[in-house]
Amino acid sequence: MRVRLEAVSRTYRMGRVDVQALRDIDLRIDPNEYIAITGPSGSGKSTLMNILGCLDRPTSGRFELGGRDVSKLGDAELSRVRNARVGFVFQTFNLLPRATALHNVELPLVYAGVPRRRRREMAREALDRVGLSERARHHPNQLSGGQRQRVAIARALVNSPSLILADEPTGNLDSATGEEIMQILDGLHAEGNTILLVTHEAYIAAHAHRQIRLRDGRIE
Amino acid sequence: MLALENLRIALRSLWTSPLRSFLTLIGIAVGIAAVLHVVGLGRVTQDNIRTRLESMGLNVLLVRPGTSLMHGVRTAEVVTSLTWDDAQRIEAESAVIRAAVPTYSDAGSAEYRDVNWQTRVTGTTPVHFSVNNDTIAAGRAFSEREVLQRARVAVLGDTVRDELFGESDPIGAHILLNSQRFTVVGVLEPKGEGWGNPDDQVWVPITTAQERLYGVDHLSSILAQMRREEDFDEALFDIETILRRSHRLREDQENDFQVRRQDFFLAATRDTTAEIAQFVVLIAGVSLLVGALGIANVMLVSVTERTREIGIRRSLGATRLHILAQFLTESVVMGIAGGLLGVVLAASLNELVLGGRAPLATDWVFYGFGICAGIGIVAGMYPATRAAYQNVVDALRYE
Repeated sequence: MRVRLEAVSRTYRMGRVDVQALRDIDLRIDPNEYIAITGPSGSGKSTLMNILGCLDRPTSGRFELGGRDVSKLGDAELSRVRNARVGFVFQTFNLLPRATALHNVELPLVYAGVPRRRRREMAREALDRVGLSERARHHPNQLSGGQRQRVAIARALVNSPSLILADEPTGNLDSATGEEIMQILDGLHAEGNTILLVTHEAYIAAHAHRQIRLRDGRIE
Repeated sequence: MLALENLRIALRSLWTSPLRSFLTLIGIAVGIAAVLHVVGLGRVTQDNIRTRLESMGLNVLLVRPGTSLMHGVRTAEVVTSLTWDDAQRIEAESAVIRAAVPTYSDAGSAEYRDVNWQTRVTGTTPVHFSVNNDTIAAGRAFSEREVLQRARVAVLGDTVRDELFGESDPIGAHILLNSQRFTVVGVLEPKGEGWGNPDDQVWVPITTAQERLYGVDHLSSILAQMRREEDFDEALFDIETILRRSHRLREDQENDFQVRRQDFFLAATRDTTAEIAQFVVLIAGVSLLVGALGIANVMLVSVTERTREIGIRRSLGATRLHILAQFLTESVVMGIAGGLLGVVLAASLNELVLGGRAPLATDWVFYGFGICAGIGIVAGMYPATRAAYQNVVDALRYE
């Protein structure tokens, strides 16, 4: 599914000052691309990721997902698009602490309205793909950092999204575990997924096939 | 199914901090228990009163000597103003009054073998028993002939029978009433705990009471039975007219008698207890309000604590409605759990402390759950809305 940003800007109001996080971004992402978005702190990487992930809306400009303009969608619609098209992997994992790995993975399917039995099946498959089938009934606090991130990846995959967004996926992991995670992501790309990495580490960005560098809200 | 999922989340949430949940629910529980008890007790009381009312004579007016309760000095003249003659006139001259029963009532002592029992002796005519809705349990009432003969015969109330005779048969036995020898001809069915204990009485013919026992020629009261309930105003008028004429009262003189419905006090009591019950329910309602505030408070804290979780769910595609429904389910579950606790509280209080005397009104148990669910919705609406409208990006960053 193709992604297109045209003249996208995002401005925040902080007290009495307007902060322009993104200025006039033009971006095109084709299916099965492997992209790294890099840049120093405050360059607007997170803001760009939030918009691409349908967590936030641009202040101006056009955002097309698969030919459909999603920049003007209402909150409920946007949530549905997010649910169906986007899979997130966060630096801090963001798993529900009081739910099992399996339940965490099936959560997007719950909100998609998938019936229980099918949900469980799909979740197990996803956990299998990241090699965590035996840990399905464990809670996050019983898992290592690397395992938690794998659960997060399984969760991102379970609804067969068009776009997988990974925000500093190895930020909270040691280098060996981080490397494992990057290999999983590489594998996912090889299987045909579109991967968007946001990172400030050059060696992580190097896994991607294309790099987009941001500075002060613009693409360099 | 999403609703089931929300239910599971809600129950898990309650279970996570049991102490906190318990403290929150107590407010609702106490409110519900109070409401259930008041309604239950109120029902029992009203039932008792209704049974009592039904056991009294229907459509009976009580005519008593003396001026109305509020003012007037009781003089010897006035207290003896009612006579049997008055009763006979009322019965004869009023179209709406079926029967006018004379009574004379005074304290007396009843003796059998070596048991002496202070009781109330009432002289009357045989028709009294039907007018007053009394049932003969054994033997018979005295007859018109015995009235004419001033016969020394007596009908015992159940309490007197029990005190003097216990298990043995009183019919035909001889007792002493105020030291005079009487024959027991009948016994009445018990009427239960009454106003002025109706079972602790002995009935004798009116003539016997007036002439042989007490040496009087006036009455304590006249029981006037109307043909129909609707005839009240006309009956009242008739009685007043007849008595005023009979007592030769001038226009400027007040009545030297009072007429009242026999169930007057009982009805007044019923109304008063109903009002009191309503008031207490109101107070219990305040307790429920406090309980609701408790739920709202805990929900607000819970929402804040779970800001990150809300962000995560939203990022996975939960809509605002999903989040709203999730938290509303929690507050409703809390409300209903409080209601459950309240029912348990009320039931145990009834069993253990009150010995089963205040049974719960079952229909109100259902209303109670409805009220609790309603409270849950209302109390949780604001916190749930706050949760739903939480900014996703900020929520994800929340520590």
